[in-house]
Amino acid sequence: MPAVQDTIDQVRKIDVDQYKYGFQTEIAMDKAPKGLSEDIIRFISAKKDEPSWMLEWRLEAYRRWLTLDEPTWARVHYPKIDFQDIYFYAAPKSTPGPTSLGEVDPELLKVYEKLGIPLREQEILAGVQKTDASELEEASDNVYKSGRVAVDAVFDSVSVVTTFKKELAQAGVIFCSISEAIREHPELVKKYLGSVVPTSDNYYATLNSAVFTDGSFVFVPKGVRCPMELSTYFRMNEKNTGQFERTLIIAEEGAYVSYLEGCTAPQRDENQLHAAVVELVALDDAEIKYSTVQNWYPGDAEGKGGIYNFVTKRGDCRGHRSKISWTQVETGSAITWKYPSCILRGDESQGEFYSIAVSNGYQQVDSGTKMIHLGKNTSSRIISKGIAAGFSQNTYRGQVSAHRKATNARNFTNCDSLLIGDQCGAHTVPYMEAKNSTAQFEHEATTSKISEDQKFYVMQRGIPEEEAIALIVNGFVKDVIQQLPMEFAVEAQKLIGISLEGSVG
Amino acid sequence: MPALSGKPREMPEGKVRLMNIHTQPLRTTAETALIDAFGDRLSLLPGDGAVMLKRDDAIESIKHGLPTRRVESWHYTDLRRLLNAIPDFDPAAAANAIAPIVEGAAVFAVQNGVSSMKVPTVEGITVQRLTDKLIDGSIAPGLDPYGSDDAIGALNTAFVADGYFVDIADGTQLERPIELQNLQAGGQTHVRLPVRVGAGARATIVERQTGGGAALVSSVSQLVVGEGADVTWLIVQEQPETATHLAQFKAHIGKNAKLTLFVMNAGGKLVRQEVIVKTIGEGADFKLRGINLLAGDTHTDVTMVLDHAVPHTTSTEIVRNVVTGKARGVFQGRINVHQYAQKTNAKMACNTLLLSDDGEFSTKPELEIFADDVVCGHGATVTEIDHNHLFYLMARGVDEKSARGLLVKAFVAEVIEELDNEAIVEALEAKLDEWFVAHG
Repeated sequence: MPAVQDTIDQVRKIDVDQYKYGFQTEIAMDKAPKGLSEDIIRFISAKKDEPSWMLEWRLEAYRRWLTLDEPTWARVHYPKIDFQDIYFYAAPKSTPGPTSLGEVDPELLKVYEKLGIPLREQEILAGVQKTDASELEEASDNVYKSGRVAVDAVFDSVSVVTTFKKELAQAGVIFCSISEAIREHPELVKKYLGSVVPTSDNYYATLNSAVFTDGSFVFVPKGVRCPMELSTYFRMNEKNTGQFERTLIIAEEGAYVSYLEGCTAPQRDENQLHAAVVELVALDDAEIKYSTVQNWYPGDAEGKGGIYNFVTKRGDCRGHRSKISWTQVETGSAITWKYPSCILRGDESQGEFYSIAVSNGYQQVDSGTKMIHLGKNTSSRIISKGIAAGFSQNTYRGQVSAHRKATNARNFTNCDSLLIGDQCGAHTVPYMEAKNSTAQFEHEATTSKISEDQKFYVMQRGIPEEEAIALIVNGFVKDVIQQLPMEFAVEAQKLIGISLEGSVG
Repeated sequence: MPALSGKPREMPEGKVRLMNIHTQPLRTTAETALIDAFGDRLSLLPGDGAVMLKRDDAIESIKHGLPTRRVESWHYTDLRRLLNAIPDFDPAAAANAIAPIVEGAAVFAVQNGVSSMKVPTVEGITVQRLTDKLIDGSIAPGLDPYGSDDAIGALNTAFVADGYFVDIADGTQLERPIELQNLQAGGQTHVRLPVRVGAGARATIVERQTGGGAALVSSVSQLVVGEGADVTWLIVQEQPETATHLAQFKAHIGKNAKLTLFVMNAGGKLVRQEVIVKTIGEGADFKLRGINLLAGDTHTDVTMVLDHAVPHTTSTEIVRNVVTGKARGVFQGRINVHQYAQKTNAKMACNTLLLSDDGEFSTKPELEIFADDVVCGHGATVTEIDHNHLFYLMARGVDEKSARGLLVKAFVAEVIEELDNEAIVEALEAKLDEWFVAHG
């Protein structure tokens, strides 16, 4: 395919009106009544067959939440959310914990097939290859096609299936839905749940603690390198529901795990709420790599509809020499409010944050990270690239702090913004706090449009304008793309193809 | 952002910090003292009806409470917590006169909050006492605070009693600097210094902030730079270690005009210097050069808001900080580029040398950009002295203490040397030496 055509196709795909995953599935659902109350929380807890300590934990969070005010400091604007108008629990009827793929509603499997998520592990295990050229083309859309990836598929409020569980269990890795973990591994859940993001952390995290329905649980024991990539695919389908997922990943001493997360939702005129909490715990010498390609429905060209994505993600480098790395490609959601953070508690621990945030239409992004240096000789690195087009607002908000005892803390931050069109805005709000004289913090940020000189340089070599711009944009985000696992890099490359109309001429 | 990083430094014992929980706090001692002082002073404050109405509005906003770290622009300076004692007005006190930093400068001094009846005459400029301008109400429109979080503006508007109004006529080329002195003598001092520089004029203005007591000082300078004018404004703040100094510098820069603002903070207990600048004409250029020398247990905050409101304007800001002892330093700088301000070129840098383990520095350099054809950047660093540099000097026989001294001095002196007025560079370097002698 000629590069120009390729670029144009990319643009179409990302254009807010061309949301590829906007289809909706008619499926029999089991729902809790609308609204939020202690009864609803009891209902969710009962549905999940939870022990009583979990219910107490939820109720305590709920009571706390009632005393909190919605935060307003982020640069995002939206009408007040009516929490009584949301379904807090919606699950496909036919899934009282299917034990094999055969028991999963075929309608559901179709959804994941359409999204390109391989739930049929045997197919991949058997190495079934598509040979037809057109099918190959189609397969290249499938981000998970190469390599083996264990998938936990979350549909509205419940996890419908988790693949490769057996093989992972052989390695000692626990990968299941959080509801299952609460039932099967209560001692681990009790020990770690809420230890990174406490129930009282912030408005949405507290709400999540009260009503979370599902999410993934990963436990990698001491010295184990997880044999495959783990992945969760979140799908919101039902109208007027909120999705409140909770993910907990624990890497014990010397363990390594790479985890991918993807998300989509149908195209609707109403806004939907997604308030997740993700907690990562890395003990001595452990490493967790967490990658997200966030592609929730962003709303239409007039800014109608779309997902409110209010997420609390935090990693705790609890052990010495541990490492947590966040990589995110943010292209979806009407509103994004998300700051994946690292608490560098262990000596010589490392935190990384790589982000590409692309906003178009009327999207509002307020995202960034926090690097809290507590241990000695800790280091962190932040690379953030924001691209704003259309009428969107794109904000980087990040905090780097070194506490009194954090000797030799090091940070390097680089956040660049690219503006395409004069109706959008790009903002940078970094906070740097040093309380130790041996800390070394560097921060640099730039905002510009594509430089005429660069464009001229490329075009002078016989490359047409659109292609030149695509080349420059790709170069602009290269630092981050490089951090993504191979499978995601392909998807991300496509997602960041941006509307070029505004920037040409 | 919700505070995750730590507990507030000095919470009274027994109080639980409730995050996000909306509480209606009780008034602090300082808030009560300010409100009471306003009641007591009201009959003595000059102003016509319009001015008095502005004062009422201002004290109303103080009644709503001083800003806390929840107010974004006060994130690192929790005024409500830090401002804990309000001294009484002391009309009997006298401030000592001081010599200008550059010999031959025309001095206009405000002593203990009162301007002088006898002022030097300088060709091309008109100077009036601010009391008169308050009484006739002619400066009432300029008394509005900058926004709802403008605590300094509100405090000043409520209590301002004097200052100078300076008008520099179009085309005036001032050979010698004008020095505006605000000399406190303990108690409270609230001063305002509005200055208009006419089209094509050229002037150097020195603003001195110093004195001898544990005073509460609020000072607001308002500058309008006319078309094609060229102004250098220096703020030299050397309050004693006991003083609270809350200052604001506001400027509008006209078409093809240039403003160079130099700020030096070298004293005070609680200091906040706000710089609020707007470019209002194409071709306007703004330069900010700042030096913060922080020692003892000072809390010094420099907060800048720069609006690029029209196309084709430029700005550069360089702020250098040296932190010793238990000092806490803050630099917040926000560059707003408005939607139609295409071709803006703005650059900001904030570099900090943190020399002690008990010191701390927080910085928040922000960019808010609504125009696409711009080049904006900011950089910030916090670090200790470069060991390679130190080694280089010590390898040449310089002892460690002197080597450190040399490097720290060079770090800040760089900013001073950029000024193109020799007498001023010399005067500021002398100030620098004074500080280094006093704080080793």
